[in-house]
Amino acid sequence: MDLLENIGRMGRKTAMSFIETISFAGMVIFRMFQPRTYNSAMRTVLINQIYFTSVQILPVFIFVSIVLGSFLIGIVFQLLKQMGLTGYFGNVLMGLIVAELSPFFTVLFITLRSASAINTEMAVMKVNGEIKTLEIFRIDVINYLLVPRIINGIISLVLLSSLFSIVLMFSGILFSWIIFDISVDVYSNILLSSANFSDMVISLIKCAVFGFFITLIPIRFGLRASREFTSIPIVVSSGMVNVFTAIIIIEVLSLITKLF
Amino acid sequence: MSREFKVGLFIVSTTIIILAALLYLANEKGLFAKVYTFTLSSKSGDGLTEGMPVVFSGFNIGKVSTLELNDKGLVLIKIKISQKHIKWIKADSAFILYRPLIGVARIVVTTNNLNSPPLPEDKIVVMETVNDINDAITKVQPLLEKITKIADNLEHLSNNLANPQGDLNLILGNAQKITTTLSTKKSLLEMAVADEESVQSIHEALKKIKDIVTKIDKIADKMDVQLYGQEGTLPNINIILKDIAGKLQKLDTTVDNINKIGKDTSEGMKDFRMLRSDIDDAVNAIDNVVKKLDNLISSKKDPEFKLP
Repeated sequence: MDLLENIGRMGRKTAMSFIETISFAGMVIFRMFQPRTYNSAMRTVLINQIYFTSVQILPVFIFVSIVLGSFLIGIVFQLLKQMGLTGYFGNVLMGLIVAELSPFFTVLFITLRSASAINTEMAVMKVNGEIKTLEIFRIDVINYLLVPRIINGIISLVLLSSLFSIVLMFSGILFSWIIFDISVDVYSNILLSSANFSDMVISLIKCAVFGFFITLIPIRFGLRASREFTSIPIVVSSGMVNVFTAIIIIEVLSLITKLF
Repeated sequence: MSREFKVGLFIVSTTIIILAALLYLANEKGLFAKVYTFTLSSKSGDGLTEGMPVVFSGFNIGKVSTLELNDKGLVLIKIKISQKHIKWIKADSAFILYRPLIGVARIVVTTNNLNSPPLPEDKIVVMETVNDINDAITKVQPLLEKITKIADNLEHLSNNLANPQGDLNLILGNAQKITTTLSTKKSLLEMAVADEESVQSIHEALKKIKDIVTKIDKIADKMDVQLYGQEGTLPNINIILKDIAGKLQKLDTTVDNINKIGKDTSEGMKDFRMLRSDIDDAVNAIDNVVKKLDNLISSKKDPEFKLP
């Protein structure tokens, strides 16, 4: 009986949390499309957020993209050659590596670096009463704190994921030449014939959705912190778990979209 | 450089790269190219789907945009071909719906003469269908029927084997009886006639036949010597025939000579006729002279002539 009660309680809690997250997301999206949201203070925060999330890490990100992407492409191409699937390397490169793995690696990178930071920042601000202070000064917390971070998440994810894909494609030129002895012209033709415009658009939309949720969920869980410092690790932990759950759900949904 | 500048540069440059890549892809995929629509007709819409690729020499050149059913019950298939590939669509182009056993169905375009005029967009072309699945089923059907018959026969045989009163079991029973009988008899013949005296008679008859055959063999040998021996009939006949052939050759020469003499005689006869004609003329002339002389003599009183 207790077990069933516990399962029911957990289910109700999860459902309520999901509904609250969706309604919170709806409110943030509504604010994003309101022109008055974009005041000078918000713009400054947005620029700072983009700087910290994307520009500051750009050298590291490009280096990681080159190293990781090159190894990934090299291993995949070598496997394709061993399995006699050389003819499918264009489809694998565009359909799997560029359209699926690039957004996935980028979202993992940004989540580990920025989403955790945002979660902790929000929790600390809540514990220190900074949120309350802003409300006392009649500063709109959503416009000032939330919307810039979420827009930053969307912009950063889309741009960095695209950069990752471009780096991968350039790595592909080198590895296709070394492994398959394919010239640049042939490589370009294979990529073009394998590339699907709708897949690219879906991939960009997926990146935007990733960016939205990997910043929205940490903010939401960070704001759940109480006035005690001990609540910070709890909300950060649960926030990060929920972010990874959201990433998996979005990935699955995007795969389902591709099936149809 | 200020933070704003760095962020602006990052956003602008990355956005330009992404847009350029997307525009290049869209352009290469023919998203901005002019698209031509052609209409094909088919009796059936089986295997046709919107978005199905249109292929020329193994390359995608377009796709099926819409499928409609007209008032006559024909399926109208509208295909879209981009400007880049319009050069492959000619008035004599054939459109074939190819449904492979494995893989995606597609419309295959074949153009025999690329110099023929372009296909007008308002012309409705009849589409042919090549169906690997149905072809395979058609080929497999007789095979399946044969396999079914074989299976039926096997079943019949196994039933027959399982049945103690079945034909095979009866045959096996009979074979057992035969082998048992054979084991008690001296020979197969004895088993067949079931009488030892008859077997003895048959043996004697066979011995006599053997003797007769030996005699016939000896006669044949003698005949052979008489006919084909050194002094046999046939070599003598050969010699006579050769002699006759030699004489006939000589006779041919004689006949030729006779023919020649006949010919010469025929030619001599011509001269003879002429000679006779001359003699006739001479006789007539003498006759005339005699007549004149006669007249001359008869006109004189003294018919006496003084001879020199």
